[in-house]
Amino acid sequence: MWLITGGAFQGKLNFALEKTGFSKEDIVDGEKCDIESIYQGKIINNFHTLIKRLIKDGKDPKEVTETVIKNNPDAIIIINEVGNGIVPIDALERQAREATGRCGTILAQNSKKVYRVLCGIGTCIKG
Amino acid sequence: MLGVVIGGSGSGKSEFAESLIINENKGNNLFYLATMQPFDEEAFKKIERHRKMRAKKNFDTIECQTHLEKVNMPKASSALLECMSNLVANEMFSPEGAGKDCVDAIKEGLKHLLSQTENLVVVTNNVFEDGIAYEKESVKYIKNIGLINQWLCQRADRVVEVVFGIPIDIK
Repeated sequence: MWLITGGAFQGKLNFALEKTGFSKEDIVDGEKCDIESIYQGKIINNFHTLIKRLIKDGKDPKEVTETVIKNNPDAIIIINEVGNGIVPIDALERQAREATGRCGTILAQNSKKVYRVLCGIGTCIKG
Repeated sequence: MLGVVIGGSGSGKSEFAESLIINENKGNNLFYLATMQPFDEEAFKKIERHRKMRAKKNFDTIECQTHLEKVNMPKASSALLECMSNLVANEMFSPEGAGKDCVDAIKEGLKHLLSQTENLVVVTNNVFEDGIAYEKESVKYIKNIGLINQWLCQRADRVVEVVFGIPIDIK
């Protein structure tokens, strides 16, 4: 497993495609995919949005994260850094932000490589 | 040399960017391309602070709140452009700006600056990591800065992130 993180609009997905040689058909979009597809897809994009969706549906994002690690250990996961700001007033936004940090940490612990992308430039921060 | 300096608010990125351009400059004309509009007291104070910081460093200041393509410098100058987030805001939201064509207009403007400079350093901000679900226009603003940063950093010889005054080379 690889984890690719960074802020919004930094070119994380392009970086993932270039680095792995995978094509656009290999991307599963966490914003709208069905849950089952994240256990098979090669690149899981927008994992932070998936977490928000899970919380909205009353599901446990930590459980889903652990299942991804178990069932899809070679996946490339892309997750936004969303924690470097002020605590949001909205309860859902607050929970999602916290869960993104926690789940991202679990993913990073289980990843061989972790990249942080800034301005399109990936820096390897683990592995 | 094209350099990009990125950092958070108050990180010391301006001071680092100034020393970077001064070290690269080999006796050529040295320009400071100022993008901030002094629209209120707070902005005015910020501008004053930056002016004092540069006072003894021999920069000639050129005001360019929009339309980089109108900047005229002698060939092989050195220039420090500060900063991208102000410039994008001016191009998007002020009446004289490029509006929805802001990204292309700024790219063209930057190409124009590159044709006149031997050394160009651009200061930009890291406004991408708070995860807040802003309304549409703000998301577009953040996205435009992100797109220009990527375009610029792809071409850059050096990209430096400044964290609490500490420069970290990422390219």
